[in-house]
This record gives sequence, C-alpha cells and structure tokens, in this order.
Amino acid sequence: MDESRQFCGRTRRDFLWNTGAGFPAIALSGLLGDQFFAKATRAADGTPLGNPLAPKKPMGEAKAKSVIFLFMYGGPSHMDTFDYKPALYPLDGKTIPVKTFGRGGHRAGGRAVGPKWQFKPGGQCGKMISDVFPNLRERADDIAFIHSFHAESPIHGSAMLMMNSGRLLSGHPALGSWVNYGLGSVNENMPGFVVMLDKTGGPISGAKNWSSGYMPAAYQGNILRATTPSINDLSLAPGMTPANQRHLLDRLAEKNQAHHLSRVDNSELAARLSSFELAYRMQSTAPQVADFSQEDARTHAMYGIDRPRTEDFGRKCLLARRLVERGVRFIQIYSGGAHNDDNWDAHSDIVSNHSKHAGNTDLPIAGLLADLKRRGLLDSTLVVWGGEFGRQPTAEYAQGSGRDHNAYGFTMWMAGGGIKGGTSVGATDELGAAAVEDRFHVKNLHATVLNRLGLDPNNLSYFYGGLDQKLVGVEGADPIRKILV
Amino acid sequence: MLAHIVFLCLFQQPDTPASLQKQAVEIIEKNCLKCHGTGKIRGGLRLTDKKSLAMGGETGPVIDVKNPASGLLWKAIEYDELQMPPSGKLSDTDRKILRDWISAGAPLPDIKAVAHPAEPVKPKLEDAKTYWAYQPVKAVKPPASSIPDGGNPIDAFLQIRLGKAGLVMNPQADKRVLLRRVTYDLTGLPPSPAQVEAYLKDTSPDAYTHLVDRLLASPAYGERWGRHWLDVVRYAETNGYERDGPKPNAFRYRDYVIRSFNADKPYNQFVREQLAGDEIDPDNGDALTATGFYRLGIWDDEPADRLQATFDEYDDIVATTAQAFLGMTMNCARCHDHKIDPIPQSDYYRLLAFFADIPRFSNDRNVMSSTSQRDVTPKAKRMAYEKELEERNRQKEALATAIIALEDTIIKRMPAEDQRASEGLDRPLVVKKLKDFQKPEEGKELRNLRQQRDRLEKLPTPSQELALAINQCNPRPPATHLLVRGNPHSRGPEVSAGFPVALGGGTPVIPDVGPQSRSAGRRKVLADWVASPDNPLTARVWVNRLWQHHMGRGIVSSSNDFGKFGTAPTHPELLDWLAGELIRQGWHTKSLHRVILHSNAYRMSSQVNPQALAKDPSNHLYWRYPMRRLAAEEVRDSILRVSGRLQSEMHGPSVYPPIPREVLAGQSVPGSGWPTSTDDQANRRSVYVHVKRSLQLPVLAHHDQADTDTSCPVRHTTTVPSQALGMINGQFNNEQAGFLARRLESEHPGDTRAQVRRALWLTTQREPMPSEVDADIAYLGELVRRGLAPGEALRQLCLTDLAANEFIYLD
Repeated sequence: MDESRQFCGRTRRDFLWNTGAGFPAIALSGLLGDQFFAKATRAADGTPLGNPLAPKKPMGEAKAKSVIFLFMYGGPSHMDTFDYKPALYPLDGKTIPVKTFGRGGHRAGGRAVGPKWQFKPGGQCGKMISDVFPNLRERADDIAFIHSFHAESPIHGSAMLMMNSGRLLSGHPALGSWVNYGLGSVNENMPGFVVMLDKTGGPISGAKNWSSGYMPAAYQGNILRATTPSINDLSLAPGMTPANQRHLLDRLAEKNQAHHLSRVDNSELAARLSSFELAYRMQSTAPQVADFSQEDARTHAMYGIDRPRTEDFGRKCLLARRLVERGVRFIQIYSGGAHNDDNWDAHSDIVSNHSKHAGNTDLPIAGLLADLKRRGLLDSTLVVWGGEFGRQPTAEYAQGSGRDHNAYGFTMWMAGGGIKGGTSVGATDELGAAAVEDRFHVKNLHATVLNRLGLDPNNLSYFYGGLDQKLVGVEGADPIRKILV
Repeated sequence: MLAHIVFLCLFQQPDTPASLQKQAVEIIEKNCLKCHGTGKIRGGLRLTDKKSLAMGGETGPVIDVKNPASGLLWKAIEYDELQMPPSGKLSDTDRKILRDWISAGAPLPDIKAVAHPAEPVKPKLEDAKTYWAYQPVKAVKPPASSIPDGGNPIDAFLQIRLGKAGLVMNPQADKRVLLRRVTYDLTGLPPSPAQVEAYLKDTSPDAYTHLVDRLLASPAYGERWGRHWLDVVRYAETNGYERDGPKPNAFRYRDYVIRSFNADKPYNQFVREQLAGDEIDPDNGDALTATGFYRLGIWDDEPADRLQATFDEYDDIVATTAQAFLGMTMNCARCHDHKIDPIPQSDYYRLLAFFADIPRFSNDRNVMSSTSQRDVTPKAKRMAYEKELEERNRQKEALATAIIALEDTIIKRMPAEDQRASEGLDRPLVVKKLKDFQKPEEGKELRNLRQQRDRLEKLPTPSQELALAINQCNPRPPATHLLVRGNPHSRGPEVSAGFPVALGGGTPVIPDVGPQSRSAGRRKVLADWVASPDNPLTARVWVNRLWQHHMGRGIVSSSNDFGKFGTAPTHPELLDWLAGELIRQGWHTKSLHRVILHSNAYRMSSQVNPQALAKDPSNHLYWRYPMRRLAAEEVRDSILRVSGRLQSEMHGPSVYPPIPREVLAGQSVPGSGWPTSTDDQANRRSVYVHVKRSLQLPVLAHHDQADTDTSCPVRHTTTVPSQALGMINGQFNNEQAGFLARRLESEHPGDTRAQVRRALWLTTQREPMPSEVDADIAYLGELVRRGLAPGEALRQLCLTDLAANEFIYLD
C-alpha cells in the first residue's frame, strides 16, 4: 500500500483520491496570493498529507463552480409562495380531511387556510408566483422550481441537519464540506465554505449545521459577516497597531525559522510558519471582499442595499457574488435566525411572518440573480433557495392563519449553473399537503448540486467508521434530471 | 432462451393469464428498470428476469410466496415501509395489476439480457478462522536477538524490521528534550523550570525511572489520559439537536474516568464497570457512575419517529461499545451484512440484545429523567440524608394536617354545598373561597403554615449525589428482532443476545432474572466476555491506544477498526507481546506506560536522518521519534500554565470560560447554555471545560478538539489561518500574554534581560541562546522607541513566545 495515501490514521482510504489517485493540483493564478490552507495537514498517524483544500479536477463535466444556498430557515409556506393551489382558496375556514404531520403531531384534518396572496404569471414561461415575491416573479425564466420535495422530519433541528448534511443525526459533514472535499478551493485566501447568518442569530443547533463532522476541520463552514470585521479574530487586538503587528510577525517568523532550521524535513512547521503570513494578508484581503465602495449605485440598488428594509440581506447577497468571483465554492446565507417569528416559522400568522421575511429578501435575491446574469456568472453559479420543509394547508391553532411544519411536500428552487430556467417539476396534491408526482427526496437535491459541480454523488465518498460514507447515503440518489440543461 | 423461460413460467403457472404478465412487465419496464435494470443497480435488486427477481436484493427476497402481502415488493409499491417507485405512488390500477401478478407467483420473462455474475463476493465466516485480529493473542517471546543497551523487548521487536530495511534507530534524545516529551505525554503540561533544573542535575542512573514514577503519580496524569478515553467514548455534556440541552451530572463520569486512571484501575475492571457496573457492584457509586458511558451520545428530545430514534440510540451504544473496546465496526452491519468483515447482520442485533434492558435517555423532553439519573450517594452519606428526608417528610405531614384542620374549621362556616364539595375532588375550589369566611388571624396562620410547607418542598434533597447513568433498567426486556434493512418498522426474526460469530459466536447463558433484579443481567455477561484475557481484541485494542498516544500512531493506526478496512499492524508480534504484557501485569495501564516509556524507541531523538527518511519517509519502522503538535487541551493548558493563571483544582461540575460574542452569535439564542464562569474557575484545565456539542471554545476548536458526536479514536492535526488569527488577534491569547508579562515583571522587576530569558525558559524549557535574548531585547527596544509603554511592549513579546512553533511542538 502506498503509505503516502494515508490520512488521519482512521482509515487508509480517506484521502485516496485527494493525495494519490492522480488528480493534479491545478495552478490558478490571478488570485489573491498565497494559500488559505497551509500546505500541511498531518495525519495523526504521522503521515504528512497534502493540502486538504488543494484544487482538484471534478470527477466529471462541471456546469457550475460555486454554490449559493439561500436557506429560508423555519420553513417557508409553498402554497403561499411558489406552489399555486387554486383549489385551496375557497376552502378557507372550512374543516377538511387531510393527513398532516408537524410539530403538533399527526392529524387527520383541520381548518383549511386559503393562500393569503394572489398568484400571477411571471416571465416568458408564465410561472404562477405569489404577490409575496413580486421581484422574484420577474426572474421566473431563470428558475427551475421543484414542487415535490419530501423530507424525513417535520421538526426543525433534525430537518435542518437533513437539509444541510443529508442525515437526521448530527456528526456528518455538511453539503458545503462535501463540495470542498470533492473540489478543493481555488481561492487560497478565503475559506472555501462560508456561512452568513441572519442578524437575529444563528439557526437551531448552531454550528452543527455547517460542521465538517468526521472530516477534518479544514472543511467546515466559516462564519462570514457582511460587516466589519467579517471574520472572527480578524481585527487587531486592543493595544495593537498594524505596524507593530507587522513587527511582531517578523520577530515570530525569526523565532520559527530558527526553530525550523534543524527540523527542515517537517513541512508542518513550515506550514504553521507561513500560516501567520496568510492570516496577516487575510486581514487586508477579507475586508476587501466586504468593501463595496467599488460597486456602483445601480448595483447597490439592484440588491436593495439602498433601502433599510432590504439592506441587510442585500449586503449578504452582494457579498456572496463577490465571494463567487473570488472562487469561494460554497456560500450559505440564512434568511431568518433564532426562534419563532424571527424566521419563517409561521405558526400563528402567515401573513405578517411571510410578509416580513419575503419582503426582506425578495428584492436582494432577484437582484443577485440579475447581477450574476449580467456579469456572465450565473452560468457557473448554482443558486439554491428553500427551507428545511414547507407548511401545511391547514391551520395549527383554532385561531389565526398560522401553518404547522410539513415535510410531506414542499417547494425549493434552483437557478444558474447547468439548470434549465423557466421549468417546474413535480407536484403536490391539490391542497399542497403532500408530494404526489415526481417526488424527490432531499438527497436528490444534494445529488443535483454535486452533479452540477461535476461530482458523482454516488461515488464521492469518505471512508469513516468502517464505511464509505456518502452525502446521499449508501443507497445513493440521482440528480433531478428534468431541470438539468 | 427467452422462449424457454417463458415456456417454463407458463408451465409452472398454468393458470396465469399471459395478459397479466404482459401488463406487469409493461409497468416494470416503465417504472422500475431505471434503477433495477441493467445499468446502475439500486439495492442490489434486478427486475430484469426471473432468476434475478428470485435472488432478490441486498436484503434478501422481495417476493413472499406464502404471504404475498408480506413481501417487500408488495409493500414497496403500497408505500408501506419502502416507497417505490420513489418518484410517486403508482396508480390504483397499476398497483392492482402488480399485486395480482405477485399473488400469481410473479412470473417474469427475460425483459433484458443480463449476465449473472458469480455469487456476490460476501465476507466469508471462514475468514474469521484465519484473520489475525480474531485469533487468540499469541504468547510471543521477545526476539532472540539481543535487547540493545538500556532498552527493552520493545526495541528488540522493532529492530527486526529496521534491520531488514537497513535502518537503525536514532540516538537517544537529550535529557531536556526527553523531559519535555514525557512530561507532556503523561500530564499534558510543560515541566516547570524548577523541574527542569532538578532533572538535569540528577545524574543518578535511575533518574529517568524516578521521573516517570513521579509523573505517573501526578494527578495531572489522570487529567491527560482520561481525556484520551473521553474522546473514544464520545464524551459530551449536552444532547445535541435543536435544544442541545444539558446532560445533568455528566461530570461525574468524567471524574470517574480521571480517578480510574490516577488509581491505576485495572483496565479489565474499567471495562466491566462501564458496561455493567450496576450489575456487578450495585452499592458502589463509582461502578454506577461508570454506566454513564451509555448516556454520553446524542439524543433527540423531539424525534419525528420515536421508534427510529430508539434504535438510533441503541446504534450509538452498539457502535461505540464495539469500536471502543473491541476495535470492531459492528455499526456497518446494522442494515446488512458487513461488506468485508465476517460480521453478519444478525451479529449486530445479537449484540444489541445485551443492551435491551437500557431504557431511553428520557421518555419525554425532560433531561433530568429518572432513567438516566442515578443516586450514587455513598452509603454513610445516604443513611444520613435519608434520616434528614424522613424528618422533613414528618414535618411536611404535620404541616399538611394542621393546614387541613384549620381549613376545615373555616369551611364549617360556609354554605352546605361548599361543605359537601370540600369532601371531594372540588376541595381546591372551595379552599379558594376561604378568604370570605376566615377571621384575620386564621388567614395569617394559614399563610404562615403554607409558606413553611412550600419552603420545605423547595429544599433540595440533602447531600444527595446524582450521576448521569443508566437507571430503571428493564429486567424483562421485550424480544430483540433483526431489523430488515435496519428499519425498526420492519421486524425480521427474533434474536437472542450473543457474541460475534467472528469471535467464536455462541449464545451465552444469561442467569435467570429474580424478583429483586433491577436489570436483565445480560450486560454483566457481555462485560465478562469483553474483559476476559481470552478475548482476542480487548487487550490488543487497549495497548494499541497506549502505543498510539506515546508513539504518535497505533501499531494498528486505525485504532477503532481492527477489521479488514482498517490498517494492518506494522508490528503484529510487538502488539501481541504488549497485549500479553498487559494481562501479565494485571491489566495495570501504568505498568504498560512504564514498559513503553523505558524503551529506547520512546527515548530516541526526533532528528532527521536523510538516508532513513528516504527509505521510510513516514517512519513506519520507528527509526525516529515522531514530532507532534500539542493537542487542543495541551495548547490551552500550557498557555494558562505559562501565564501563571492555570488553576489546579480537580473534579466537580464543569466550567465555562468566556467565549467571544462574535462566536456566540452563531447560536440561535446567543449565550444560551453558557453561563460564563468567574476567572478562577474559567482558568481550570481544559478537561473541566463544559463540553457543549454545538459550541466550542475557539482555542480548542482551532486545534482540532475531538468531534463528540461519535467515537473519536485519532485527532486530526490541521494547520489553518484561523489558528494563527486566534494566536495573534484572539482575546484569549492577548489576555494571557498580558498575564505572562505581569508575571515576568513581578518575578524580575526592572530587569528586562531576566524577563526575556524567563519567558523563553517558560515556553521552551531550555537555556535561551544569548543571540535570541539580544534579539528579543532589541525587539522590545524598537517597540518602546515607537512609543509603546514597556509593559505593553513586553506583552507583545509574550505573544510571540506563546505563538512560537517551539512552544506548540514537541521534539
């Protein structure tokens, strides 16, 4: 066995196709200089490894290079947004028999809540989209809607993990970790997996949603803010000046070089030495990414940064585009944080809740799609929109228009790299209660993302715990072919 | 051929209308062959021809001839258990056709030509008879070749392979390097300057032996080695998931582990206590606390599918037990036979059956469930508090009697219907009306009595010690079944508790459960089998972990997996000799430490030898000692030790060092579950830092702290700029650099040279070279020239010492 293929001593196959299976590192020039991930990650069994984030060739044809996952945390209602259910309007207030399973448990019926917005056709394709998303409606021709997703849990915590890592149980790597594991990062000065949180806080389970699980920490999501400082520990500590920090790093480098002199074969020491220089440069490159002063007023307006209502999410979407330009592989933006109506979890009043969250995000997301398109970036950027599940056609309580969680059927959409815009696939029943036609599991979403990036979802594996672990599980999953270009 | 098969089918099923078969084939072609045809096959099932259909899929047959409705194919199209086709349920008409077709024996012509490969390659149980890890530990004698000067049998074993490769071991490391190495290895902390001096002065031949003895006797030993074990058993103090709520009293398990290591508890006893402490020694608080082992995993307090969650909890126990104690990946056999090791699926469920008496962590969302909290109060203390409780209950009763008597006095003045109501369930409603009938002094007295009662009820149970453990086990658990495809809703045949067939199998005799039994008595049987000297894996797996933490890599480097997917041992004979030694030395871990630490191999230099590097770059043959980065806890503890802030207080509830607000912002409720400790408590060793699954201290997270959701046998070592950013900009490092600077100033007031030298001493444990001292002094001078106060300049210099490779790496 080739010893150099060993990774971390847990297994012998972990890093097979990273280090030894003939995927030459691609040299990419014109980026921001040196590497984000220093050269060495050492297996605990003593074997030095290559850079875990060295760029790798995709396994197959890649239609997209980056992913922007717009996570509508809390579970947006599909029948009030993109899944037009004319039959549900007249039932409003009537008690109807329908099988549901949500936070309130299994129910056999309840008081129907008619969709609270009118739907109108959008784009050339004439897709019926609710008035809650007037700007996104204009982008319908760029978007492929999948109306027939189903998931395994209608409870936030486990459903979030399912959407992010393909499992109900924590401990498994997130989609963004898999993408970086499969492709490496072409930006050497920024993390390859970036997460932007809502201003109200993180989602339930916090960092578990962007954890790299059993993979090395190099693959985990990094919190990035659209304000300064954008990355943790990026600002100078109290009492430090830029000049004195430079002085400090110079002295530190001298000490580390002196120490390295009699240990030259140890690349880990060299890597740690240079990691301080990388950190130093990040202090200037990372703020540059978040510095929008070079963006013109029209761009600001496209994203709604010029309006208080949409400024916050707009900044995040613009930052996402700037990260895509810099080769960051996977960017996840959360709309909604914390608990209850701080996110899309509309248990009591669907109108006020969705008006708020859709209103905060509609223009920025439409702007993001338009901006990516005019810059020619949409073809190579995969945009994903959706929450951890949808909502029920019936009310949760005796009063009000709130809807409980629904994992039996919900809508997500994708746009950009390798996705056929202006299409819709799958259907829920006439009430929107459950997916019935062309049903897709969350794993099919993951398979589609990996497939568009040129990775084979059924062969991208990481050996851990005695198993070839895959994002899509041992049984595998196919991409959603009807929406592929 | 086609005609032949069709003919056969027709012959066998003379009354099957050919049209039914034709219709079924059409449905199958249209809906199933994409995944069950000739291309990519899902679930190992082909529906292309009769033979394939009869063979079924990975989980066995899909047609049940006797009970057609129980067959998997039938259930799948009805969306019962499986949902096929996944893209949507077939129409009522199509499903009826397929049901009729199945009932008619599912005749199938060759839809597509397929070549049937020979029987799929399955792990053969015969492999178990030859595979090294399942054979008894061999009685190995050290090689006849001489044991080198000053070395021990370990060196003789290593020299065989080194000699064959034309390599020799590096010379011994110098005394200072060795002192630093062994001090960190055994205690996770740097030696103090005084300890360095004393050791360097000690020229007696047994100086090193004394050093090892001193370190093994140090309480810090248990804190360091206990942490290794906590990694393996996925130790955490919260449950994960949405709320990531606490596991109350988990710290007692952590303390149990630390105390066990410090007391040099025999490993076989350590194993038995964790698996069955409640059955072996039910009056021993330590043994009960040990069963906290079962309670450390993630737990979903709001599962979408309760039964699934229950078996996920069992899976956590089966997986961790098999990997931690036996180095077996039993978890791979949950849904199907192990792909490569001789572990049939039934073995998984036979192992699970040993744990069937363990109740769920909690039956509702209450984290203080009586199923996972156990009274471990020492007997004497318990008798005392039971007396206290008795007295308290007596008082409560007296108060209750007095309250009722006074109420009754007042009730007698009330209308008749109220008086009658007061005798039944409606009494509380009547009592609410008392105030209209009572005299002022009665009201006062009543309030007084009620306050006394309430106070008593709110008092904590006196001196009671609760531990996270298993409790209220079920002496007569329901039958365990094999679960088809691991699906808890799809019960297969019943199985009884049994050992893996690879290790000889056998269905053990479980003692009868008596009326007094508080558990099923199965786990003790398992514990005895695991902890037996005859178990081929237990001792090997444990000595391999000891070797791993001393020598940088296990002899089997996949230390949780001794199966075929794992790595083969580099030195199998040495592994067996060490395992034998452990058993011969009464399973005493400290004895094994002494053996390893007294080898030349452990004491050799880490310097590079270019010829050896060329021949064996990854040092598989141990020609040098491998350098290592400090582990996450060592990094933080060393910084605190050097800054003078480390608190040596041991044991007790965990502490919560401050976490920067920007990190807390990632929580759904920032700061939730993290009640920041006071300074003294916050500065305790990292093993006492609260282990919250969804929130980590940045300095620990940056340095590859173990992921706690599953067993972590080996830590990663990654180098990323977030570590460097934390080192130069992070709050923790900057504060500690300030404390170090103040320490230097107070130890050597006004003497810059002495301060600089002291900082280097503290971080490197060696005599600083004049040139580096001069360079540091020049550095300080420059900062002061730039206008920095000398104290701040010194603080910034301290930052360089705390960030230096020499501080963070061991030779």
